[in-house]
Amino acid sequence: MAALAEADVIRLQEELKAKPLTPGQLIKLRFLRHKMAVLGAIMLLVLILYAFGGALVYSEAEANFTDTKIRLNPPSAEHPFGTDTVGRDILARTIYGGQISLLIGLSAVVVEVIVGVLIGAIAGYYGGWIDGLLMRFTEAMFNIPQLFLLLVMAKFFGGKIPTITFLNREFSGSVIVIIVIIGITSWMYLARIVRANFLSLKEREFVLAAHTTGTSNLSIIFNHILPNSIAPIIVSGTLSVANAIISEAYISFLGLGVQPPTATWGNMLEGAYNYIETAPWLWISPGILIVLTVLSINFVGDGLRDALDPHAIVEAK
Amino acid sequence: MKQKRFYRIVTVLTVLALTLSAFASLAGAQEAAKVATFAWTQEPDSLNPFYTDMWFATLMHQVYLCWAWQFDDQAVAYPHLVTELPSVENGGVSEDGLTITLNLRDDITWSDGEPITSADFQFTYDMVMTDANTVNSQYPYDYLDSVETPNDLTVVMNFAEPFAPWLANFWRGILPKHILEPIFESEGSLIEAEWNEAPTVGCGPYVFDEWESGSYIRFVKNQNYWLGEANIDEIFFQFVPDDAAQTAALIAGDADLGTFPPLSDVPVMQNAGINVLSVNGGYSEIWFFNFRDMASPGAKDINVRKAVTMALDRNAIVDDLMLGLTQTGETMWDPLTAYGYVSPDITPWEYDPDGARQLLEDSGWIDRDGDGIREDADGNPLTLYHGTTIREIRQDIQAVAQQQLLQVGIDLQIMSEDSDIFFGSYSDGASCATGSVDVMEWSDAPFFPDPDTDYWLCDQVPNDENPWGYNYFGCDETLDALFRSQLVETDPTARTEIFHDITQYMHDQVYLIPLYIDPDIWLINPRLTNVTISGVTPFYSIMSWDITE
Amino acid sequence: MTRYIIRRILQAIPLLFIISVLLFVLMINTGDPLATMGGRKATRPEDRARLARQLGLDQPIYKQYIYWLIGNDWALIDMDGDGILETPGSRLGVLRGDFGNSLISRGKAVIEIIWDRLPNTLILMIPAEIIVIIVSLIVGIYSALRQYSLIDHTVTALSFIGYSMPIFFVALVSMYIFGVNFKRWGLPYLPTVGMFDPKMGKTTVQIIWHMILPIFSMTVITAAGYSRFVRSQMLEVISEDYIRTARSKGLPQRLVISRHALKNAALPLVTIVGLDVPLLLAGAVVTETIFAWPGMGRLFIDHLSRSDTPVVMGILMMISVAVVFSQLITDIIYAWLDPRIRYT
Repeated sequence: MAALAEADVIRLQEELKAKPLTPGQLIKLRFLRHKMAVLGAIMLLVLILYAFGGALVYSEAEANFTDTKIRLNPPSAEHPFGTDTVGRDILARTIYGGQISLLIGLSAVVVEVIVGVLIGAIAGYYGGWIDGLLMRFTEAMFNIPQLFLLLVMAKFFGGKIPTITFLNREFSGSVIVIIVIIGITSWMYLARIVRANFLSLKEREFVLAAHTTGTSNLSIIFNHILPNSIAPIIVSGTLSVANAIISEAYISFLGLGVQPPTATWGNMLEGAYNYIETAPWLWISPGILIVLTVLSINFVGDGLRDALDPHAIVEAK
Repeated sequence: MKQKRFYRIVTVLTVLALTLSAFASLAGAQEAAKVATFAWTQEPDSLNPFYTDMWFATLMHQVYLCWAWQFDDQAVAYPHLVTELPSVENGGVSEDGLTITLNLRDDITWSDGEPITSADFQFTYDMVMTDANTVNSQYPYDYLDSVETPNDLTVVMNFAEPFAPWLANFWRGILPKHILEPIFESEGSLIEAEWNEAPTVGCGPYVFDEWESGSYIRFVKNQNYWLGEANIDEIFFQFVPDDAAQTAALIAGDADLGTFPPLSDVPVMQNAGINVLSVNGGYSEIWFFNFRDMASPGAKDINVRKAVTMALDRNAIVDDLMLGLTQTGETMWDPLTAYGYVSPDITPWEYDPDGARQLLEDSGWIDRDGDGIREDADGNPLTLYHGTTIREIRQDIQAVAQQQLLQVGIDLQIMSEDSDIFFGSYSDGASCATGSVDVMEWSDAPFFPDPDTDYWLCDQVPNDENPWGYNYFGCDETLDALFRSQLVETDPTARTEIFHDITQYMHDQVYLIPLYIDPDIWLINPRLTNVTISGVTPFYSIMSWDITE
Repeated sequence: MTRYIIRRILQAIPLLFIISVLLFVLMINTGDPLATMGGRKATRPEDRARLARQLGLDQPIYKQYIYWLIGNDWALIDMDGDGILETPGSRLGVLRGDFGNSLISRGKAVIEIIWDRLPNTLILMIPAEIIVIIVSLIVGIYSALRQYSLIDHTVTALSFIGYSMPIFFVALVSMYIFGVNFKRWGLPYLPTVGMFDPKMGKTTVQIIWHMILPIFSMTVITAAGYSRFVRSQMLEVISEDYIRTARSKGLPQRLVISRHALKNAALPLVTIVGLDVPLLLAGAVVTETIFAWPGMGRLFIDHLSRSDTPVVMGILMMISVAVVFSQLITDIIYAWLDPRIRYT
């Protein structure tokens, strides 16, 4: 795909000679040329529509409505995705579970970006012992495989946050826990990118000029340097959403994730292997939804990378 | 050159992998021997009975260990190492209940031929009470004043106060003094003794052979067993760390026996011709109410507790979620075993949502703001916080109960945590200990088959001084007095009377709602014959089990 | 080179120290190991108080950490609960190679517990990693040589899908197809869980038979990323001058690929594989859990869920040390394979 994009870029540059485009138009064009990315974006839109639009068809009460008489029923006209162990409709649950899964994906990345950008920017801008200390810390976090750290933290925070009500809906406190721990275990990569960017940008003329006019350090960091390193942050952030959704699924699958009553695609899969033979519909639909979401986000991320940063040689991990 | 290096690396790695797998392979099993395979979903922490109380470990005791007396499939005790069960009639228990004398059989031996004597009992007591050994529990040995051994076949237990539940709790496993004493003397503790993981000298019908971590434990026939030779040659505990694996192994006939299955798999196994045996171990799945000061007003109101009981369709839970494999209960005490501790005058709570609504109306819980949730006169909503441990069936029950209670206007807030967090200490701020939940659900039993429990004693309420106290429920002076009096009551009839009072009182006060009796479900391949299982000493009859093809 | 290695090792010391403090603080606060020691019943308060004292769990966290790090044989502990410190400790501490004893399998040394499971994990992971490398090299090179062909597009799309799939989904689907449905259809089916069939015993054949599904799942997930990496490396290499020279000299395509291109394209893969090697030790937590493989990953989950701090710390520190060293070794191997690189 990278090669495809490169070819596109060459073609684009030729077109450029003919008529100059604004950077925004250029990015849009490059993104639209990336067929997989467009497909991914459409797929993502459909999934978001499914999770949020579906709420118009099914109420949350229906998603949580139990009927033990019809437990573990296979897919039927009435329950297209079947029913779960207490007779709840799996279709309705994938809708509300999807909202939480997508919410976790996005919010965790917000946490990740805040932490990653702050640490990366401070380390890169100030340098010296601050840089040394922060990078040692980053390295330490890097050294422990993320899943292990996630599991330990999920246990650490587990049960420490009560159920909260937000937008008239109740969220198990574990949703917040999962968002925070995914955020604070995944910022390291981003911090390194931001730091590298800051290291090179802080010596540039416009920064030196800002210094001489007496602009504060804070203002230089956030108003001058940061906007210039936004592209890699956006790309890395998009790909992180996919990672966050997968991480949630992993922790929930291992039983340490979001706890009932809140459904997520991940915790709908918990203990799925107990039903691998008797009730495969319990895990098939949430599983496919996770795969589709992650796949489309990865496509979009790939497209964004090519569009925002044509010279990027960073490969997908 | 470089290419060669690359291949060299690959070769080294391959050889390494092959060597490792070769290490793992064992000689093929002998075909002629009768081998019974038990599928175990959890691996024991230790084989020393005093280093773990893990259920899957204690289940194995009757295979390689011996208790002074064991229990049959009706949970009735019978003598095993002793000639008869001590009683007031035969002089084994003194009139004041302060002395219990055990007379040992003269033919009992360890699997290496050494006789089992009173010295082993004395040694066991000493080891449990020695701090350096860091045993799991000193109960009930810390109720003893001393143990005396006037001769090789007599053990005298001296108490400071009568201790009624002694029969159910003493001498659950004896340690071989001749093996462990030298280790204790040289190392100052038994904690690292090899015997804990490889009890090659035991006193059961089988003797330990091999333990491969994460895979299996094998026991072979004890040739020196004083009761004769077992029918089956080898007992093989295979660790299938997952329910699905257990079900698959049982259906495929790879395992002959398993326990603790996911209930949803039971019909599948029945269809595959596997026998399902339900054995009562005294456990019930219970909702415990918190009526301490910090509890929600609803939990402290007896009418609300009654209404909750009436609004819960426990029969639906038993029939649908438990697939009808058990039945509802009314107290924490098992009505099925033959002890008769449960008051015969108890009238079971019936499912009656209308009655629940009426009761709530009458006691001032009325939905004043029309949101479907009742409030008291001050406008406090009728919200109850329900907590339990992370287990699928419990979380399922929470979801069902939440809906049922909402129908009578009770708002049930549900929460679940890992059990090591849920049961954390008061100083950790754990939910149960600090009382942040009003209803707590888990499965529990008294010191079965004895009815004793110290859960509701007032001095067990957790606080700063007693952070580990486990009376998460509350101090009721009447109940406290009743529990204290039964503990020292040596007359069995009088003690049963006290338990009738206790069960009746707790039922009337609705301090707990037993959802269902939680039996141990055993799955047995029909080729394994003659199987009887006890709720206390499950494999008490294992030497007469057999395999018929 | 030697100086470089020494410097790297010295740098690792503060790193490992930070990691150990971080993890220790987290672990001590993740639940009470004593809470579940009563088995199916609640642990008796008297026993909890006694065990907390005897196992040192009632000590302030800094003390617990110090005892863990440098042992407590120089300090006195109160074993009998009379409030007087009388018994000398027996732990040597991590720095002297003693990771302590498990709290739940009380007398068992952490090292021993880990050592029991390590071979199982390696038996599964080493072949898995080798297969992943081989598959990704073949797929990556093939699709690079046939750039923009139908096969290349298919492989690219598939690798994206593989890369996006959580391993449990692949595992569940493959278990469902090859374990459950094949059996239902009367076809030869694969075992779904465990390391060997208890009836057959722990034979090499049995283990290999049980390894098929876990290795298949890991290959689908991991090879996807690797092969894309190989492909782009390969594309870069084959456009370079020396390859063109080799071709123009009339060397056959196969020889050009195997002698010249492959070697240079595979080099960067060493770095990536090197970074993944420590994960092998940990075992794929999820893979081992789903397939009930008695390795390190399962060990970690089991002991974490019961807050067994010494064992969890032992596993995590072992991984951290392995990460540090495998990074170092990767660098050294890299320099050895590519003479242009010099470390000073």
